[in-house]
Amino acid sequence: MKLDKSKIIAVRTNKTVYKDGNLAIKVFDEGFSKANILNEALNHARVEETNLHIPKLIEVGMIDGKWAIVTEFIEGKTMAEMMEQEPDKYDEYLERFVNLQIEMHAQECPLLNKLKDKMHRKISETELDATTRYELHTRLDALPVHKKVCHGDFNPTNIIMNNEGIPYILDWSHATQGNASADVARTYLLFCLAGDTVNGDKYLNLFCKKTDTAKQYVQKWLPIVAASQSVKGKPEEKEFLLRWADVVDYE
Amino acid sequence: MDKNKKRDIVDNVEKLKIALERVKEAQRIFATYTQEQVDKIFLAAASAANKKRISLAKMAVEETGMGVVEDKVIKNHYASEYIYNAYKDVKTCGVIEEDKAYGIKRIVEPVGVVAAVIPTTNPTSTAIFKTLIALKTRNGIVISPHPRAKKCTIEASRIVLEAAVAAGAPEGIIDWIDIPSLEMTNHLMKSSDIILATGGPGMVKSAYSSGKPAIGVGAGNTPAIIDDSADVILAVNSIIHSKTFDNGMICASEQSVIVLDKVYKEVKDEFKKRGCYFLNKSELDKVRKTIIINGALNAKIVGQTAFRIAELSGFKVPENTKILIGEVESVELSEEFAHEKLSPVLAMYKAKDFSEALSKAEHLIADGGYGHTASAYLNPLTAKDKYDEFAARMKTCRILLNTPSSHGGIGDLYNFKLAPSLTLGCGSWGGNSVSENVGVKHLLNIKTVAERRENMLWFRAPEKVYIKKGCLPVALDEIKTVLGKKKVFIVTDQFLYANGYTKPVTDKLDEIGVKHTTFYGVAPDPTLASAKEGAKLMSSFEPDCIIAIGGGSAMDAAKIMWVLYEHPEADFMDMAMRFVDIRKRVYTFPKMGEKAYFIAIPTSAGTGSEVTPFAVITDETTGVKYPLADYELMPHMAIVDADLMMNAPKGLTAASGIDVVTHAVEAYASVMATDYTDSLALGSLKNVFEYLPRAYDNGPKDPVAREKMANAATMAGMAFANAFLGVCHSMAHKLGAFHDIPHGVANALLINEVIRFNSEEAPPKMGTFSQYDHPHALSRYAEIARYLGLKGKNDDELVKNLVKYIEELKEKVEIKKTIRDYGVDEKVFLDSLEEMVEQAFDDQCTGANPRYPLMSEIRQMYLNAYYGTNQKV
Repeated sequence: MKLDKSKIIAVRTNKTVYKDGNLAIKVFDEGFSKANILNEALNHARVEETNLHIPKLIEVGMIDGKWAIVTEFIEGKTMAEMMEQEPDKYDEYLERFVNLQIEMHAQECPLLNKLKDKMHRKISETELDATTRYELHTRLDALPVHKKVCHGDFNPTNIIMNNEGIPYILDWSHATQGNASADVARTYLLFCLAGDTVNGDKYLNLFCKKTDTAKQYVQKWLPIVAASQSVKGKPEEKEFLLRWADVVDYE
Repeated sequence: MDKNKKRDIVDNVEKLKIALERVKEAQRIFATYTQEQVDKIFLAAASAANKKRISLAKMAVEETGMGVVEDKVIKNHYASEYIYNAYKDVKTCGVIEEDKAYGIKRIVEPVGVVAAVIPTTNPTSTAIFKTLIALKTRNGIVISPHPRAKKCTIEASRIVLEAAVAAGAPEGIIDWIDIPSLEMTNHLMKSSDIILATGGPGMVKSAYSSGKPAIGVGAGNTPAIIDDSADVILAVNSIIHSKTFDNGMICASEQSVIVLDKVYKEVKDEFKKRGCYFLNKSELDKVRKTIIINGALNAKIVGQTAFRIAELSGFKVPENTKILIGEVESVELSEEFAHEKLSPVLAMYKAKDFSEALSKAEHLIADGGYGHTASAYLNPLTAKDKYDEFAARMKTCRILLNTPSSHGGIGDLYNFKLAPSLTLGCGSWGGNSVSENVGVKHLLNIKTVAERRENMLWFRAPEKVYIKKGCLPVALDEIKTVLGKKKVFIVTDQFLYANGYTKPVTDKLDEIGVKHTTFYGVAPDPTLASAKEGAKLMSSFEPDCIIAIGGGSAMDAAKIMWVLYEHPEADFMDMAMRFVDIRKRVYTFPKMGEKAYFIAIPTSAGTGSEVTPFAVITDETTGVKYPLADYELMPHMAIVDADLMMNAPKGLTAASGIDVVTHAVEAYASVMATDYTDSLALGSLKNVFEYLPRAYDNGPKDPVAREKMANAATMAGMAFANAFLGVCHSMAHKLGAFHDIPHGVANALLINEVIRFNSEEAPPKMGTFSQYDHPHALSRYAEIARYLGLKGKNDDELVKNLVKYIEELKEKVEIKKTIRDYGVDEKVFLDSLEEMVEQAFDDQCTGANPRYPLMSEIRQMYLNAYYGTNQKV
């Protein structure tokens, strides 16, 4: 495979995405964990077996000595673009966004990694002090175990509406199976980190209303997703995340 | 102590496993200690902890950065002194309770190894508390400290351990995790025998998920209501005292105060006067954002001073401010002040009346304090209704009145019957297995040792039984001379009335000048309708004495009228409810004899009803028979005068005479038989076998036989009034009811089947009664045979001869061989069989039978009795 005729459509930390005809090629920088790349491809392949619309995985291989994941290219706009371009339709898109997430949570994918395992691992990897980590581990341990498909980075930039208006969910590198509220807490956190607390609250209220979930139930996950985020988070976000993580369970 | 110094620090699961083995081994030795040894250790450990109360308090504050040294001193002092005082004399080893008469004792044993999770809020006092109660109960204990407080928790545990070992406790009976992690805590909980988990809901949940019994306690969100009847100064100052204690870190501490409108201003002024700070609107918002982050408590504010929390929120209050009070309205969780705050921050609500205050308190408890503690300030004398309603409505395991809740909840400080404890159970509401304050009893296994005891039995009979041919007028004299009765209601049947049987009674009553009236409408198998009719007449006549004269029907009907007369409200369905043990029956039979004295005069020798507590009545509308049994139904006086029996017809003489045989035989074989009933039963049987054929053959010409039979019937009646009957009567009742066979005949047709059935020495099931120790009906029947002078080389042969002897008696008095011989159609019989079987099985008489019959066995006995076959059952 060659990237001669391909054009770059996105550049992210450690990876570049190319378009080649009807293919999307995600090329990872050298030094990117091979295991993580293969895990992402495996996650992707597993989720493809559910009822969700996601681009088909075509190939995993090496291009010029770099690992690459090749998938179907979905022609269309991301939901983030649509929200930005049509602000008057924001609420409508937000509702479709929430509906899509709920639809995703209705799926089961028994071989995906377990969300709780991942969170415990992330908490251990944080720079938080032992006491806070202990509190977080204890809190996480007591939270209910579910087996819903969780995206782990569900946000409007990861959703593409194709030309028929069918939404496709991209980027399954963080996918796990577990409690939907953790996935929602993570999305809410992303809103807040982007400084969009107003729409974050709107999003959270909408999700809770549609699924008849108590807000506190989702909030219980916030210190955990915040701690998890702090592992790879940007330095400027650290203080914010640590504040969210440093809470105690009642005694 | 040397060994202890060699102890490796426990910082991973492998080392924890080694530590657990060590503690288990130490505990095995500890389990053999005597009470004296244990009490010495308990005293030494409590004293050592007590001595270090100040240094431990300082360590705790320094390490955790939370709370107040002086208050932690109190907690440490409390955990050592109060716990020692509460349990010093409690027996925790060996037999703690014994009742030799009842044959019951309780022996306590340790549980084994306790996993103790210690919170950051009370890191030393809880460690002292848990290690002390573990020592008192001969348990080993492994402490899992909170990482934030590990040094001081471990130090407290070490002090207790060293003192305990110096006083003789096994080395290493207390151990701990040095570098805590959730993995180790979970392993500890899974490997222990019981968990004492104090901590947040997460920890408590882990404890309960470990699969080991857990005494976990959870969050509180204590509301304090201040009613308008309260002593406001006491209320406000108690709350301040409690809320500021250790900077609000006691889980029972007040989180909100709900004040009635009428006293709101007064309360607010008092709070202000005593150094509390009321937040203005913008400060309120700042505090909200500071104390709660996304619905969770900010770790940085726990156990801090009001001044520090204001500072963290971005404003200043005077340094000596006691509490930050936010006046808020919502009790929903979206209101940050509605949460548990573990700091001197208090929500204050206004309620227009007490009912609204209760609703708010209920909501706050539901928010995060289910099962923990609720508090109210009111005057229990003038506002008793409010007090009661408060206690009724709060779903908390501690309900405190006029008491600072931090100090009040832990017990023994403001109420001396509430057990002192630093682990407060929250019941099922809080997901806990314990709803009281945790103490030594929760760390003990109690073995109950129960010896077999036999049931108390009894002998009950009418207070007066008058016996002699011709005694009737003499006995009736008492109605006037001894009893002083004025009005007698006589119950009898048409035949006896028409044939002048009541005349000797009425003549006597006329003679002694006692008013009387006679009801003679009793039919065989008396109905509820006729009993009601009689009772109606009784009610208008208002007798103070009832005389029943006749056979079983008249006496039973009179008993029922007596019940209806004295207790018109009584329900027959209830009174007829089956029981296993007459003394434990669900239904309490109404008290009888308050209106009328009951005299029974039999005119046939059979039923025994004159001396029994039984009566059967049929509801003619439904056909349901109500067999009533209760000693309340026992007649007060029985008059056994053979003069009234001289002319009994042959058929009646035979049927009722054979009935006596079955009464005596069943009472003798009953699991409830006693020496008293046995003698009566045997004496009765001897009379019947000797005199029934004579009475049958000679009728009125043989007064001796008549009198012997009269006595036999009453004696058998006394026997079964106390020992009860058996499955023969169960089956006879249904045979009579379904196929209209006279009661005595029905029994006669079945009795030999039942004797053979009960004689089985290895029956599928024997009767359940403590003194019935093995299936021994065979030898009992053999005793009857011997008493009657029958011969046989062993019990089997004796019983065979008894059966034969009964058959011969039946022949003599011309009782037919089979049910079929009495004209019961085969098809009709078979069609009714299943129903008869089930009803006979469920009959009240079945319970006393020595062999517990299976329904299939009852069916076979019926079939044998129908066809005269002898198929083994």
